[in-house]
Amino acid sequence: MESLEEFLNRRSRDGVVSLTTARGGSRIFGLPMAGIEEQALLLGLMPGRYLRNGLDCKEQLRLLRARVAVVGCGGLGGAAAALLARLGIGFLRLIDPDVFEEHNLNRQQFATVGTLGQRKVQAAQDALAEINPATGVDAVCGRWRREHLEDVAVVIDGLDSAGERRDLGQACRELAIPLVHGAVRQWYGQAAVVSRESDPFALLYPDTASPEPGIPEVIAPTVAVVAAIQAAECVKLLLGRPSPLTRHWLNCNLHDDDFDLTGF
Amino acid sequence: MQVTVKLFAFFRDGRFKEEGREYPPGTTVGDIVNSLGIVRDEVGVVLVNSRQAGLEAAVAENDAVAIFPVIGGG
Repeated sequence: MESLEEFLNRRSRDGVVSLTTARGGSRIFGLPMAGIEEQALLLGLMPGRYLRNGLDCKEQLRLLRARVAVVGCGGLGGAAAALLARLGIGFLRLIDPDVFEEHNLNRQQFATVGTLGQRKVQAAQDALAEINPATGVDAVCGRWRREHLEDVAVVIDGLDSAGERRDLGQACRELAIPLVHGAVRQWYGQAAVVSRESDPFALLYPDTASPEPGIPEVIAPTVAVVAAIQAAECVKLLLGRPSPLTRHWLNCNLHDDDFDLTGF
Repeated sequence: MQVTVKLFAFFRDGRFKEEGREYPPGTTVGDIVNSLGIVRDEVGVVLVNSRQAGLEAAVAENDAVAIFPVIGGG
């Protein structure tokens, strides 16, 4: 019988393996899509779905083998998860205790009329399987715990409370796992990377006594911009590319089209 | 004394982005926040001459004070 290597080499065209071939390989060889894509990338063959990423097979393989936790799967977390699946991240752990409610529909990626009342992480898992079946998803319906972070390379901050963010930042720093922070409000957002070397939360959320802001108002474009910055930052971290966000905090003002980096 | 005040995000609404303003000696960041009608609980990061400062920090002639609201939604 033909080996998977022979199958992929024979069916590839100009160094590219199509989705049809990958699905056929998955069926014939009884392997998950991630296993087929991994073998293709090891052979120097690019799955067609990643062709326009502009990354080489080695980089794409790093993303496929990467594990990322998304803590909070509402606005930022949901949008970031969708982008990370499109980029080809091989494993996402989605963590959120909530179900979709009507007031999520204005901005949350996986909130649709059909998913109202569903667990956010379950709706996200279903949608991500349609976007990229090579992205394995662990859907955790509950509050994040330290053990959810221990086997991942990067954590995405999709939380909406300063106190929880401080706890998450501290856990990530102790585990030496970078945390890609994002936060949004109305037309305004911010992003930064919490790491063992730097703690922007000491600047951004210093006051444990201050009250949490009331009902969060935010428009979808702000969520999309900040989640996109978080996803791009995650990829840079996974690929070992330098980024100003490890030493600066980015302020986004979509109302005045004003973006600036402030050192910390 | 002359102080440059820079406001960010919705703190600019009905106010300004950047303005040179006159304050008496001994003015603190908190006094500036109050003079602008900004609710103290809404204040997040404050930078005086690009360095983090608290509301109790005194400002000096020609200082630049940047005031950001807390951004915390997800």
